[in-house]
Amino acid sequence: MITFNNVTVQYDASHTALRGVNIHIDKGEFVFIVGASGAGKSTFVKILTHELVPKEGSVIVNGQDITRLSNSKVPYYRRKLGIVFQDFRLLEDKTVYENVAFVLRVTGAKSREIRERTSHVLNLVGLRGKENEMPSKLSGGEQQRVAIARALANQPLLLIADEPTGNLDPNTSQEIMDLFSAINHMGTTIIMVTHNQDLVNAMHKRVILIDEGHIVSDVEKGGYISHV
Amino acid sequence: MFSTTRYFWRETFRSLFRNSFMSLASILTVTLSMFILGMFVCVVTNIDHMATYLESQVEMTVYLDDNLSTSQVMNVGSQIKKMPGLTKITFTNKDQAMVKFREELGDQASILNAVSGNPLPASYALSFDSPEQLKASAQSVAKIQGVESVQYGQDIIEQLYKAAQFVRIAGVIIIVFLAGAELFIISNTIRLTVFARRKEIQIMKYVGATNGFIRWPFINEGLVIGLVGSGIASGLVYYGYQLALKQITEAGLVFIPFMKTYPFMMYTVLALLGSGAFIGILGSAISLRKYMKV
Repeated sequence: MITFNNVTVQYDASHTALRGVNIHIDKGEFVFIVGASGAGKSTFVKILTHELVPKEGSVIVNGQDITRLSNSKVPYYRRKLGIVFQDFRLLEDKTVYENVAFVLRVTGAKSREIRERTSHVLNLVGLRGKENEMPSKLSGGEQQRVAIARALANQPLLLIADEPTGNLDPNTSQEIMDLFSAINHMGTTIIMVTHNQDLVNAMHKRVILIDEGHIVSDVEKGGYISHV
Repeated sequence: MFSTTRYFWRETFRSLFRNSFMSLASILTVTLSMFILGMFVCVVTNIDHMATYLESQVEMTVYLDDNLSTSQVMNVGSQIKKMPGLTKITFTNKDQAMVKFREELGDQASILNAVSGNPLPASYALSFDSPEQLKASAQSVAKIQGVESVQYGQDIIEQLYKAAQFVRIAGVIIIVFLAGAELFIISNTIRLTVFARRKEIQIMKYVGATNGFIRWPFINEGLVIGLVGSGIASGLVYYGYQLALKQITEAGLVFIPFMKTYPFMMYTVLALLGSGAFIGILGSAISLRKYMKV
């Protein structure tokens, strides 16, 4: 599903973010990307979201080399991704329902499809009955659920989560991880960047450790390993 | 598609109201400049109209030698008729000239009693297509055998033409300047909107909105500002023109040929709305190009 072939990203002469990275991730996998700040995790995510195009190497997602994507194709590529951020990034002036429906509207879905799909994903993340709330009235965990619902709205092949529990307390974090687990069981590939050792250790999933732009370990059913 | 269109318009008005101060400022700027543009159109069109009218009124008078026979007079007439651009030719004989002169003198016609015989010459009155031809025509008419002298109001016409040309050029310069000011303020308003909605734009990009989709609400916003501003200006110009015509008529200046309200005002209003819409869209486009980097 995802293959990085010898990917190198250099921001400037003194700062290389990724060095000759090779990764293969299969469809349906749940993968943690761990490492210290500045190790290259964010660069890894930015390549997948096509915010950043590496000058060296190729990145194949779902059979398509995204380093050769023309600008006009980028939006259509992104529709196959769901992205969840640490800071939720909800639209504060829109209701929960609108925050999710918005994504479908962007892709030109029909009204009926938008209604059905939005209700479905809001049920899935456990937010039935909160449709008309404004995001500011919700707890952090609930806001992240809205963000997850939004990421799922387009039925993505790949869900990318960048520190999704970074702003949440441990109990809420566990609930959010359970939700990701459930989504993964339904067949969605998940790539999660995190610092949270306890959660990684508890999940027993594949863990890739990045340090100074290198992949220093890649362990099936691993835990959080620190080489620092 | 319907839900998308409705979404675009809802977003447009939401954002217009959110930045209500800037929206209002841009609308007023458009109103002001479109009103000035409208007034210039009225002034220039009316001066042109008057110039054209006066041109068509201008005659060249060809005075004939006193001792010509009828066939010689006819001969001069037939040579004049060969002139290019001639639209009208009227002959006045010596007696008719005297009658006309008496009428013009009115109460003072009695002074003519002191004059023995008829000193007035016979003449041809000529009208031409355009005043540019008058000078050349006058020169060639003067060379015809039997023509004593030629008179025409060339100076007045040239002055009028120069005045019309001046107003036109000044109008174009001021209009270009105002259009620049409109573009500036509209693109700034849209830039503020883009800035206020940068988070939304970023999320739209993440979820795969095409650039076209992201741009639409902003383009609409520029369009609405342009249309509302020029709409108000159109109303002011329309009623202002009607009022001006009414005042002029009441002041008794009916002989001055002004443009009638219809269809002149209809074209003016359509032109103002059209340019308002165009400037609004262009202003948004400039701002999007510069600040959105989509």
